[in-house]
Amino acid sequence: MKIKTFGYCVEQGIINLYKNRLMTLASIGTISACILIIGVFYSIVSNVDFMVSEIQNNIGVAVFFEEGITQERIDELNTIIEQREEVYSITYISADEAWEGFKEEYFEGREQLLTGFEDENPLKDSASFQVFLGDIDKQEVLVTFIDALPGVSHIREDRQVTNVIKSISDLIKYFSIALIAILIIISVFLISNTVRLTIELRKREINIMKYVGATDTFIRGPFIIEGAVIGLVGALIPLGIVYYFYSDIISRIMEKYILLDDYLMFMPVGDIFIRLVPLSILIGAGIGIVGSMLTIHKHLKV
Amino acid sequence: MIRFENITKVYPNGVKALDNISLEIEKGEFVFIVGNSGSGKTTLIKILMKELDANEGKLYIDEQDVTHVKHKKVPKIRRKMGVVFQDFRLLSNMTVYNNVAFALKITETATRKIRRAVPMVLSMVGLNKKSDRYPHELSGGEQQRAALARAIINNPQILLCDEPTGNLDPKTSWEIMKLLLDINLRGTTVVVVTHNREVVNAMKKRVITIKGGTVAKDIQKGDYGYED
Repeated sequence: MKIKTFGYCVEQGIINLYKNRLMTLASIGTISACILIIGVFYSIVSNVDFMVSEIQNNIGVAVFFEEGITQERIDELNTIIEQREEVYSITYISADEAWEGFKEEYFEGREQLLTGFEDENPLKDSASFQVFLGDIDKQEVLVTFIDALPGVSHIREDRQVTNVIKSISDLIKYFSIALIAILIIISVFLISNTVRLTIELRKREINIMKYVGATDTFIRGPFIIEGAVIGLVGALIPLGIVYYFYSDIISRIMEKYILLDDYLMFMPVGDIFIRLVPLSILIGAGIGIVGSMLTIHKHLKV
Repeated sequence: MIRFENITKVYPNGVKALDNISLEIEKGEFVFIVGNSGSGKTTLIKILMKELDANEGKLYIDEQDVTHVKHKKVPKIRRKMGVVFQDFRLLSNMTVYNNVAFALKITETATRKIRRAVPMVLSMVGLNKKSDRYPHELSGGEQQRAALARAIINNPQILLCDEPTGNLDPKTSWEIMKLLLDINLRGTTVVVVTHNREVVNAMKKRVITIKGGTVAKDIQKGDYGYED
């Protein structure tokens, strides 16, 4: 196809859009709604995933040792565990460090309550490894392995928290996929309707074009462009909305749930958009083009 | 130029529109095709335009078998033919100039060429002073001239006219006929399907009469015949 012909198709496509602008607006509206929902859910899912992985890094498993274990054996265990591929990081916390941490966490500002404990460490058998995993799903395998090692007395897991978060995030994911699928079908239907109307409006012209020997591409081009433009505009509007409101909503959440500061971690808008923009444009234009092609195939006998 | 070989067309509803019809039209000929409504004229034209495919027989255009061509090749065949209809079929939202230029635009002709060709063909049909008018501002004869200009601007080998004078008064009909003769004299094969008895009788050209889906008569320098 020559560039000029492409230009012609674009021109005609836009003229068509203007001629039945009501349908155009309706179709753009539906696609926008569809992609807005995609954008919102994508943002939520990405952030939940992001939080899960951040929390995973903070919640590991604690490995405690049998009484009277030697420092050498502890070092050995350290090496063995560190070599496992599930392990993201491992830190040794001595009994004294554990006690210091405990005091800080529970008795800060009330040190007078600690009188009597000055020389004695009540947690003297509480030396441990803090093991952090790269992927929470592999925790079970690792725990079974470590538990069987000689010298290890027991393991404390904080798994529930991450599991709950993870299942919520999965739920949101499935729900949004279903919702998006339904919306995509509705959008294709609406675009197809818009294009069908244009074909109806331009029947005479199409007929004349056929008689003068216009090729299929030439006749169909404007309709494809019509669908693509609807799809693109329908994608850009919600992207703008999401971009505009994203930071605003996050700062509101942060203010409201200030107590959960440690757990609420959000991705910057740029990190979201780097994937969301191509995804939305692809879906928008895709819906538009598929919608008009389906209609052309059915209603435009060339 | 055009050859129908034993062509039969049966519509899906069982109506046999063309029954084993054979005819040949030479390059540069001027031919009238006449017949009552329902005789099969329209089907004949539709087959020639590749709008319909024949069930049996063969169709040759320009010595090329086009009975069954791929859908993609149809536009190429149509570009060999210019068509004029009874109802002009001009695009009402375009000026005369653009209506004519449209035929070149869709065949991807360079703009420079279009600018040169359109005024030329408009002056040939006598519309050069009305190129900025819209179809509704023109008389029926003028609209048909514009349609004629559009049909011939691609220099087609064949000019196909379906009732070109059907909506025109006798005087205007004659003007259109004279134009068709001019076009024919320049070497274009002209096929005119018509009901216009006076025109056919006065022109003394070849007349093919279709009746019941077959060629009833085919006479050089013929007339419309007795039945109508």
